[in-house]
Amino acid sequence: MIKTILLKELSIYIRNLNSVFLPLIFFFLIISIFPLVLGPDKVLLNKIIPGVIWITAILTTLLISNNFFKEDFNSGIIEIYLTSESSIELILFLRIISCWIFTCLPIIIFIPIVSLLFEIPFSSSIILVFTLLLGTPILISIGLFGSALTLGLSRNNILTPILIIPFYIPVLVFSASAIESVSIGLPYYSQIYILLALLMLILPTMPYLLKYTLEFSINN
Amino acid sequence: MESLKISVNSATCYKNNSVIFSDINISLKNSEIIIIMGSNGCGKTTLIKSISGIQNLDSGEIKLNNKNIATIGSDFKEEIVYVGHKNSLNNDLTTIENLEYLSAFDSTTDISNTANIRNLMKNLNIEKYKNYRVSDISEGNKKKISLMRLLLTKKKIWLLDEPMSYLDDESINMLINIFIEHQKKGGLIFLTTHYDFSKKINACKVYTMKDAELT
Repeated sequence: MIKTILLKELSIYIRNLNSVFLPLIFFFLIISIFPLVLGPDKVLLNKIIPGVIWITAILTTLLISNNFFKEDFNSGIIEIYLTSESSIELILFLRIISCWIFTCLPIIIFIPIVSLLFEIPFSSSIILVFTLLLGTPILISIGLFGSALTLGLSRNNILTPILIIPFYIPVLVFSASAIESVSIGLPYYSQIYILLALLMLILPTMPYLLKYTLEFSINN
Repeated sequence: MESLKISVNSATCYKNNSVIFSDINISLKNSEIIIIMGSNGCGKTTLIKSISGIQNLDSGEIKLNNKNIATIGSDFKEEIVYVGHKNSLNNDLTTIENLEYLSAFDSTTDISNTANIRNLMKNLNIEKYKNYRVSDISEGNKKKISLMRLLLTKKKIWLLDEPMSYLDDESINMLINIFIEHQKKGGLIFLTTHYDFSKKINACKVYTMKDAELT
């Protein structure tokens, strides 16, 4: 069953390459706006760009996750999940993972190029990639939770971000702090461990939360 | 043959402070078919969703062999197939891929036998859409694809929400024959429809839902 679901997710993303490339293009567009607005001040840009990358990652995950369950809800596949004898938690876990692989991983792969463009030091760049690798699965999971929560509402485009952005703050704080620490030569392990702990907490519990949220949304 | 009995005991459901149905009592045994009829919006879909465990009841209970379905959970889900009035197909996948995907949620479905699948599709006149993307197929044919799950599964309890919508007369007759076959094998069918076909089938109970009650 796991293989079938992953293969189908793969073919859905391959047939909808839009959903893979558009977040990537969006990400680069937003990042390239900052030098235009702030001017070519190298010292300033160098200082703020890791933060900018993180904020852009948040915006991108919000867009990706906003209407994630809408199509499934409209087509009725969520009812099939709920009446299926297979573990719905496992199905949802696989869907979170494949969503992350096809939308966030491409962005993270291109981070070294962004680092070169903005001349981010190598050590900061490595930590930036590392925090994104640990942080974006958390962002996607929370985003999908928001998407499931507002499923029954017809106009939820702004509501979902308002509901979930507060939950993004811990991830943002610890990632920014890790990047800041490495740039001034302080130890950064504790922040990375906290991010890892958050990931380990959220990833296994989120499918259960999602299941109850979807049941709740369908019931109301 | 495994004996199965579903009973709905004084089921009541509210939505947005208005009563959808109240004090519903019905039961269904092997080789029986229950047809729920009624006007649009009378609560047929909510009732069938409650029986399939998607919708929670406000009071009353649904039992399978005298065990509450809320407590037996996946044991109940192992016995039922639910086909909703939405077709539950993914528009980006082809017909075959959709059937493969749906079969992942049902352990009794075997779709490795391609000759059998081709035959079933031929009978339903959808063979030529085998490798079409579902977004390019008409609503009636989509309905047939989602109903094909019934032919592939070995589960006994079928819960169908308006299975006849979008279908032409020929397909409806075909579907009725499928129901009769299932009945012969001891299957249970619970369905909502606007088309009364009870005269064509034995052991078939027809209820009409009106003003939140079944008559």
